[in-house]
Amino acid sequence: MSANGATLVANNIHKAFGDHEVLKGVSLSVQRGEVVTLIGASGSGKSTFLRCLNLLEMPQQGELAIGAHRFAFGKGPRAPKDAQLAQLRENVGMVFQHFNLFPHMSVLANVTEGPRQVKGMARTEADALGRDLLAKVGLADKADAFPSRLSGGQKQRVAIARALAMKPEVMLFDEPTSALDPELVGEVLSVIRNLAAEGMTMVLVTHEMTFAADVSTRVGFMNGGIMAEIGTPEETIRQPRSERLKAFLSRFHETH
Amino acid sequence: MYVWEFAALKPYWGLIGQGLLVTLFYTVTTVVAGLLIGLVVGILRTTAPRWVSVPLRLYIEVFRCTPLLVQLVWMYYALPVLIGVDMSPAMACFVALSLYAGSFYAEIFRGGIEAVDTGQWEAGRAIGMRRGKIFRRIVLPQATQVMIPSFINQTIMQLKNTSLVSVVAVGDLLYQGSVITATSYKPLEVYTIVAVLYFVVLFPLTLVADQIETRMGAHR
Repeated sequence: MSANGATLVANNIHKAFGDHEVLKGVSLSVQRGEVVTLIGASGSGKSTFLRCLNLLEMPQQGELAIGAHRFAFGKGPRAPKDAQLAQLRENVGMVFQHFNLFPHMSVLANVTEGPRQVKGMARTEADALGRDLLAKVGLADKADAFPSRLSGGQKQRVAIARALAMKPEVMLFDEPTSALDPELVGEVLSVIRNLAAEGMTMVLVTHEMTFAADVSTRVGFMNGGIMAEIGTPEETIRQPRSERLKAFLSRFHETH
Repeated sequence: MYVWEFAALKPYWGLIGQGLLVTLFYTVTTVVAGLLIGLVVGILRTTAPRWVSVPLRLYIEVFRCTPLLVQLVWMYYALPVLIGVDMSPAMACFVALSLYAGSFYAEIFRGGIEAVDTGQWEAGRAIGMRRGKIFRRIVLPQATQVMIPSFINQTIMQLKNTSLVSVVAVGDLLYQGSVITATSYKPLEVYTIVAVLYFVVLFPLTLVADQIETRMGAHR
C-alpha cells in the first residue's frame, strides 16, 4: 500500500449502515497536489466515502493511509483509538455542506480554535495565523463578527479558513456549495480554485460539473457504492464510457 | 374591615430574618448540589451505555413523579430506618431537595445537550479535537445558552419548594412564620410578610431571567 508515494490511499473501503451497504469496496489513491472530484447521484456513497477519509465514518473493512497515519479496518484489527483519530484529523481538513461554524465564537475564534486547543499554539501566534487566513479567503474585516451575521458564502469561506488553520496535508470538501444561494456559489469556488492553484491536495464531492472539469486533476464517478469510473476530467466528464455515467451527466445538462 | 397591625411583629423581625436566611441557604446549597447532580446525570444520560442510563432514568422519574413533600417526609422518617442511620431533619431536607432539583436539572441538561446540532461535534472532530474538549468548549456553551431560561425557572421553583422543609421542623421562613403566629396570634400579618419576602427575593430573579432571554434572542 502507498508504494507509489501517494499522499492518500484508501483501499477496498466497505461501509454499511445496518443492512444497507453504502460502500462496496471503494479504492482511491491521491498524489500530492492532486485535486480529485467525486461525482454521482445522491445515495451513490460519495459523501460517505469522503467521510471515511477522515474517519468521521468508520469503515467496516479496508485500509486507509494518509501521510504517516495508517489504519486497517475489519474484524482482525483493533478499532483506532480516540487519540489516533484526532491525530489523523489534524492532518485532514474538512469543509461541510452546512458549514458547522461554532456559533458562540467570533469568526477569528472559529479559525483559531484548532491551532490553540489542539496544537497548543499561543494566542498571539494563532491570532496572526487566523487573520492571515481570513485575509486569504477575503474576510479580513469580519474577524470580530459572529457567524450569525455572515452570508452563507462568507460562512463557508470561514469554514475553509478554519480547516486550513490546522495546516492539513489534505483537504476534504463535502458538497461545499450545495447549501448556498446560487449567487454565493462563485465566491466559495474561487477560494477552492486558489487552493488548487497553490497545490493543496484535495478531494471534493460536488455537483458543480463545470467547476469539477475545470479544477480537478481527476474526476471519479461513484455509483451504487463503487467507484464506477475514474480518470481525467476529459475522460470522465467529456468522454464517459458507461451508460450510467452518460445518463447521469445528461440529466445534469438538462437541469443546469 | 380588618385592621392590620404590622407593628405587633416588631419583636419577631430577628426570627423572620433568620428564617429568610435558612430559606436562602437551602436554596443556594441545594441548587448547587442539584446542578452538580444534574450535570453529571444529564451527561451520562446522553452518552453512557444502557446499564448506566436506565437506572438514571429511573432516578429521574421517581423524583419527578412523586411530590416533593412526600420525598421530604420519606427521607426523614423512612430512609433512616432503612439504612439504619440517624438523619437530622436538616440533612434529610438537604438530600431530598438536592435530589429533587438534580432530577429536573438533569433533564434540562440532557435536553440542552441533545439540542446542539451533531454537525458541531463533527466540526470539532474534523479539526482534531477530542471528545471531552469538544463537549466543554463547543457543545456545553451552546447547550447552556439554550438551557438558561429553564434553569432560572427551575431555580425559582426550588426557592419556593424549600418552604416544604418546615414540615419536618427545619427553621425556614415559613416555619418561623408559623412559630411567630403561634405566639403572636397575628396570622394575617405574619403570612403576608412571609409572602412578601418570598416575592421580594424572587421577583428580581424573574426580571434577570427576562433580560437574559431577550439578550440571547438578539444574538440569533
